[in-house]
Amino acid sequence: MNGLLKVRTILPLSQFRLQVDLSLASPVTALFGPSGAGKTTLLEIIAGLRTPQDGFVEMDGTVLFSSERKIHLPPQERGIGYVPQEGALFPHRSVRGNILYGMKRSPRGAPIPMEHVIHVLEIDSLLDRRVSQISGGERQRVALARALLSNPKLLLLDEPLAALDTSLKERILPYLLRVRDEFEVPMLYVTHNATEVLSMAQWVVFLNRGTVIAQGPPRDVLSSREVLPQVENDQLENVIQGPVVDSNRDLGITTLSLTDTLSLSVPFVEKSRGETIQVSIPPHEILVATEEPRGISARNILPGEITSLQRVQESCFLKVKAGFPFLVRVTPSAVEKLGLQEGRSVFLIMKTRSFRIL
Amino acid sequence: MAGVQWSIVAFTVKTALLSTLVILPPGIGLAWLLAKRQWPGKSVVETLVSLPLVMPPVATGLLLLMLLGRRGPLGAWLYERGIEVAFTATAVVVALGVMSFPLLVRASRVAFEEVSPRLEQIAATLGSGNLRIFFTVTLPLAARGVLAGTVLAFSRALGEFGATIILAGNIPGKTQTLSLAIFQFVQIGHDEEAMSLLVVTVIIAFITLWFSERLGRRKKKETEAG
Repeated sequence: MNGLLKVRTILPLSQFRLQVDLSLASPVTALFGPSGAGKTTLLEIIAGLRTPQDGFVEMDGTVLFSSERKIHLPPQERGIGYVPQEGALFPHRSVRGNILYGMKRSPRGAPIPMEHVIHVLEIDSLLDRRVSQISGGERQRVALARALLSNPKLLLLDEPLAALDTSLKERILPYLLRVRDEFEVPMLYVTHNATEVLSMAQWVVFLNRGTVIAQGPPRDVLSSREVLPQVENDQLENVIQGPVVDSNRDLGITTLSLTDTLSLSVPFVEKSRGETIQVSIPPHEILVATEEPRGISARNILPGEITSLQRVQESCFLKVKAGFPFLVRVTPSAVEKLGLQEGRSVFLIMKTRSFRIL
Repeated sequence: MAGVQWSIVAFTVKTALLSTLVILPPGIGLAWLLAKRQWPGKSVVETLVSLPLVMPPVATGLLLLMLLGRRGPLGAWLYERGIEVAFTATAVVVALGVMSFPLLVRASRVAFEEVSPRLEQIAATLGSGNLRIFFTVTLPLAARGVLAGTVLAFSRALGEFGATIILAGNIPGKTQTLSLAIFQFVQIGHDEEAMSLLVVTVIIAFITLWFSERLGRRKKKETEAG
């Protein structure tokens, strides 16, 4: 974000008060928290669709809302794109009619060329279809294209993956990553899925019952003592990004550089040397050994050191520094038997197939 | 059918069409205001608009006559400016308009209420002001309901009797509509003329219904299947 989004608001809701004071400057900020935490309401306040009782909203130095100065810019004058959970496409217009809707009106013209957006989101073949004839994932892509083409200064995404089932999700996340990387539009992204936070955002704000509990870089916030117990266990994955050093179809692996000396073997992906890829591995897929294992099929054995140990319900989460701060989930029994504790040197064992390419 | 009867039919269709056209803009505007906005006095206006629906048409006609007659508060004012309403063709249009207005407003209002505010909000975030949102999102999505209301209003106008006969009288060649003519022919025992007008009435009703069904189905295709 070349500018800064500042939001301070107080708004009583039925269950609690939404009371936040935020100053955001990352290209992608995730607004994370359980359902009903006030995330969507906050987006609506920023978009101008809802009026807080008290507070202000400021973007790039322009005041969009100020209860004190009695400023309330209507949504159409804010230049903020909003992609709601359900996509909200216009049912009486074709896909083309939908994506053109905001473009015609944009007073700033369209520096994002339409062809480029259509290409990146792969909606070329859908243009002449009716909205009812396309799938959920396609709807989200069209809604995204429509918002992008209105040339927003900020894009608000409200759980774009929540309405889709898992298999579709896996197909749309790459599009979101492409949008993030191709177009320089800052995004504020609402989700309750930790994997999405880790793969999309540089900054995360954890919201619960209308209050900011924690904020910071995703990896730190999500594994922190306050937030970790709130994260659905199977969603918290290690999301690792790095350059490809080698890709070998015959051996079925792609090698990703972690540090100068450490690398990871992940399933083969059609990428050439130097290209950056993002992979993820769930904490429970990582084994811990106190001695270096031999004669084992797993391709990744990394030496590391336990930096923290935290119990959450029936699991123990270890943070292990092994070229990357891996989060590892083991049973309390394993901790006891192996005598795991902070500062202890261990080996992490990861199968190539346990990695997922994002 | 004689020329006189044809002119009655033409007059009836003309006044019904005209009254529907006249009430369309205020009717749609009011329906939108009732469906989408909160304002003081809303419930009073709501009741007032629906009044002709529940009152006997003759009573509505009498109220209109008291208002628009030469000595009525509005009628006197108009008469001074050379406009005479009561017992003229204008009176027919006024009576038809007032009687069919609630049907248009109620049907359109329901149609507007069914348009998701979400879509209107999204249109705003895409840069549209209120007027553009209305014409590009709200109205197209409510088109079927508004159309149904318009047809209903037109049909009501075609068959109106009570209010028309009080405000406009039953003057052959001047204010006589189909219903009024049938009534008169039956009264004076000209059953044959009454019958031929009856046949015409049935045909007009049939055409109106067929036309609205067709339009409705096309709109349905555009929005729902579309």
